[in-house]
Amino acid sequence: MIARARLAIGLVALVAGRMGQAEPALPPPYAGAYQPQGVDEQGLWALMDEEERRFAQSDMVMREAALQAYVTKVLCDTVGADRCGATRVYIVRVPVFNASMSPNGLMQVYSGLLLRVHSEAELGAVLGHEFGHFEARHSLEQLKTQRSSGDVMAWAFVLANMAPSYDVVRAYRNLQLTIIGNFYRFGRNQEREADGLGIGYLNSSALRPQAAAQVWERLMSEFTADARAKGLKKPRFDRIPFYATHPPEAERAATLTLLARPDAATRDDGAARYRAALAPWLPQLLEDQIKLNDFGASEFIIQSLAESGWTAPLWHARGELYRMRGAPRDLVHAAQFYAQAIALDDTHAEAHRGLGLSLLKSGQTAPGQQALRRYLALKPDAPDAKLIGMMIPKEVPAP
Amino acid sequence: MLPFLKWGHVMRAILSVLGAAILYCAIGSSSLQAQERSAVRQGFVLPPQSGKTILVLRPSVRVAEQSTGGLAEPRAEWTDQARAHIGAALVELQRQLGNTVIAAPEAYGEDARTVAEHLALFGAVSDAVVQYQFFVGNRLPTKKRDNKAGQFDWSLGPDVAKLPGAEQADYALFLHTDDQFGSTGRKMLQIVGAIAGVGFTSGVHKGSAGLVDLKTGDLLWLNADFQMGGDVREADGAMKRVRQLLEDFPGSAIPRDAPSAETPSGGKP
Repeated sequence: MIARARLAIGLVALVAGRMGQAEPALPPPYAGAYQPQGVDEQGLWALMDEEERRFAQSDMVMREAALQAYVTKVLCDTVGADRCGATRVYIVRVPVFNASMSPNGLMQVYSGLLLRVHSEAELGAVLGHEFGHFEARHSLEQLKTQRSSGDVMAWAFVLANMAPSYDVVRAYRNLQLTIIGNFYRFGRNQEREADGLGIGYLNSSALRPQAAAQVWERLMSEFTADARAKGLKKPRFDRIPFYATHPPEAERAATLTLLARPDAATRDDGAARYRAALAPWLPQLLEDQIKLNDFGASEFIIQSLAESGWTAPLWHARGELYRMRGAPRDLVHAAQFYAQAIALDDTHAEAHRGLGLSLLKSGQTAPGQQALRRYLALKPDAPDAKLIGMMIPKEVPAP
Repeated sequence: MLPFLKWGHVMRAILSVLGAAILYCAIGSSSLQAQERSAVRQGFVLPPQSGKTILVLRPSVRVAEQSTGGLAEPRAEWTDQARAHIGAALVELQRQLGNTVIAAPEAYGEDARTVAEHLALFGAVSDAVVQYQFFVGNRLPTKKRDNKAGQFDWSLGPDVAKLPGAEQADYALFLHTDDQFGSTGRKMLQIVGAIAGVGFTSGVHKGSAGLVDLKTGDLLWLNADFQMGGDVREADGAMKRVRQLLEDFPGSAIPRDAPSAETPSGGKP
């Protein structure tokens, strides 16, 4: 009983000590050439500055000046030119849906995100969310919360050890769960705040804010399609697991729909501009996605990109997806898809290659070799030219 | 799938195991961490005062304060001080050894990527040495025989010769230090913990240093120490730290610190 009382007193004292610290108002981190304030912020920024030195030279970064400039432009269009100057945008070649923001203004945009959004407004919604983390100094608050949580837990651990009775151990475990749960809830609330800031930027930009919810609706459809392809149960988008770092997708979509300015629904979302700007990189983004060996999600992404019209790269990607899975029935479909790509663009060398390989594998030797010949004619210096040449009898010199 | 992560996700992952970490700090024996190991490549000798030029790549220096709960709070000022003091101490000690230290020139474009790649590669190789060769019980089956024969054969490959500044130097030196100074709260916790019968450690002081041949890329010497001395935030402390890091440097005539203040050095593997 005494031990429990001591534990309680200790905790009350700790919590009171934390609450007594009043935070002075800080200027926004993008204002002018902002310099971090206070030891914690300075420490975080210095740590990330050092990390950025390394990260900027990483091979994961896509050094495509035009693409980088375009994504930066979308960020500036969303949050405003006065704000976006405080960030450095790095596009990293990671084929998953994500983006991240460091406290010092280092923004990472994953290539998988570029593949999954369909317009400047949708991209802006995600970039605005990340910028919201930066403007609201979420990493700093996260560090402080983590520190105070850890401090309380460490003291409670010591106090609980002073009287390790059954009741005290149970009280300690409950406290531990409460603190961890609170910490994750704190993180989710930061995400909600960032969502609110992000949609706020979109509302006051020239882009269509309704696009923000579309991102989440399409992502939920992708997860559903993926689960269906794997024979899994339909995923739930409304539950909050204990360790969830983000609010559930359905909640985010609903909130963003509500917060989008209704009179802005007629604005341009920049879908055509986005498609045109991304066109040079689309084949690579699709290739990276297909190599994830995630059939359901890849098929969904290709289909949803094709809603605005099938193109040769999309047909080719679909052919690759089926040919990579490689069941006999897939090869039949793959050959059809490659043929569609060739019908749209007869000079698409890789489509001829895929068609030839699919046909050869399904036993149609003559048309297969014909397609491979066409591939080599279109791309004589292809890296696999010798390998492909061996599949065409005429091209092999007599021994 | 964690959509819209921010960098704090790493910290979150840490917190989710924080309970376990506190427990670990409490019961974690220091016997495993108290080891210092170093090794020299067979056949490599560097006579004292041989006047070699050593290229120092940007040392990895991180100084933090350890919160009561054991979280590393990064400290910019301390890190800056440590970086300056360690650099100065390194120049001075190598001068005593008869070697010249040059800092790697600022690199741009392709060169900068080469440097970054080699820093990462050295990190991976030295981690592998520490993991699989220095400490008994975790050795790779394919390295067991080498260990018995006292062989130390690791390399970064001949591409190190393309590093900017490599043509003016004989060897490249890599340095890494990671410090967390226990906060007042952490020390209080340690004291109260001792009364309650829970042993907490306060502070983390790790360091490693490695020498690489700039012609062949071979790792010539590596020293790793998980419990280093010297307060890197001050000039004297940084001198002590660098002296400890260079303790078994080939051709070294650096006197060791007084044995009482010293972690006993492990034998050569």
